[in-house]
Amino acid sequence: MKIQRLFLTTIILVCSGIFACAGSIAQGQASVPVISGGVGFLSTTNGGTNYLEPIIVPVLSAPLGDHLLVEARGELLEFSSQATNGGYQRQYFNELDYTQLDYTVNSWLTIVGGRFLTPFGMYNERLIPIWIHNLQDPPLIFVIGTRTSSSSLGGMVRGAFAPSSKVEVNYAAYFSAADKSAYWGAGRAAGFRTGIFLPNRRLEIGMSYQRFLQGQRFNSFGAHLSWQPYTVPLDVKAEFAHSASGYGYWAEVAYRLSRFHGAGSAIGRLQPVFRMQQFFRLQQIAGDSLPGVSTQQADFGFDYYLPHQVRINSNYSRQFSSQGNVNIWDAGITYRFMFPLWPGGSK
Amino acid sequence: MKRNWMRIALACLFVGCVYCVVQTKAQNIQTQTQTQTQTETQTQTQTQTQTQTQTASPKPEEKASKKILRGDSEGELRFAAHCGRCHAPPEDISPREARAVVRQMRVRAMLSAEDERLILNYIAP
Repeated sequence: MKIQRLFLTTIILVCSGIFACAGSIAQGQASVPVISGGVGFLSTTNGGTNYLEPIIVPVLSAPLGDHLLVEARGELLEFSSQATNGGYQRQYFNELDYTQLDYTVNSWLTIVGGRFLTPFGMYNERLIPIWIHNLQDPPLIFVIGTRTSSSSLGGMVRGAFAPSSKVEVNYAAYFSAADKSAYWGAGRAAGFRTGIFLPNRRLEIGMSYQRFLQGQRFNSFGAHLSWQPYTVPLDVKAEFAHSASGYGYWAEVAYRLSRFHGAGSAIGRLQPVFRMQQFFRLQQIAGDSLPGVSTQQADFGFDYYLPHQVRINSNYSRQFSSQGNVNIWDAGITYRFMFPLWPGGSK
Repeated sequence: MKRNWMRIALACLFVGCVYCVVQTKAQNIQTQTQTQTQTETQTQTQTQTQTQTQTASPKPEEKASKKILRGDSEGELRFAAHCGRCHAPPEDISPREARAVVRQMRVRAMLSAEDERLILNYIAP
């Protein structure tokens, strides 16, 4: 089964590349398909149990002419968990997070078809890559709206328009069909996300809504905020989400010490991070992947940006719940890579 | 114990936000003071009409957004406004690679056609 999945992933990526080659040649070679993404080695100690996770997340980006784009993201990882006898049990996973065809109609409308990341909140679409997010573990409420697979299978329209030079409005609306296969798993749902972005202040406020239409029908809604002032190397992000299972929020503040001798100095490469999050359970719904009881968590971390797109992450989290309080220690190293799909493409 | 942790965490968050807001305000005041000083100096040498024209300069946050970026190019500003919210620019990227990446980010980050063109010129001129 695993070999079949790996084979299917390879076939899809290779076919996308071949189509992209044809498209690029037909267009007089304007661009070259690119494989980018992140590779990392992550370790976690959760409540005294150790986990190790080497991971590769390649992203294919293949333009087909001026309007079409094929993009796909795979995920290959080995998950090693410490067994009671001290040894490690290993599991291998390979997944295709999304494979989508984008058709850019005009400046404010893009039509997307295929398997795509569910646009709910901002974490799933923007912050999930291992080389982007400031803290290793996703927020407690991450699965609200994105569900366990974090992907949808169907169609989406999205885009952005600017009523004035100081305001931009972005939107995404989608419908997802149900698919119970292990590989393309998605739930039947429909929803939208919209946001207002102020470029001069780098401030974005948005909201999301989803109607889950499979089995038990319920609404999920959320709000997100992102603020990176120009005058201070500060990164503030926050989300709130509510579903039938429960509701919660996370708020994260990161401050890059680039004011001390510049961003390239030894101290300027350091970024302390703090995140506060709470989840309040309303009712038990099987398979919702949320904490079983109301949970609070505080995360303290340090990111260190090394040259050549390498980053070291470390954080300590203290989790409180009626099931017991635990300490979580995370450490990892990530590398952001990018190369053309074939030799000579970087010229 | 649990409540103490939460209080400490909330206090850290609050202090951090207050610090950043105060720092932002201080910089804005400093920028405004510099602008006023420049305007006063210019007033001595220029006519009153010219001075009124000069006071209609960009707002402090707009100046700061340009000041923090070295090149002051429009593409650099667009990159900082959209892409720089999540990540730094890629290193050693060719124009052909950049076209593919920016096309993808146009969909992901909901960039306009103009943003795409300017950012492309910035990361791979």
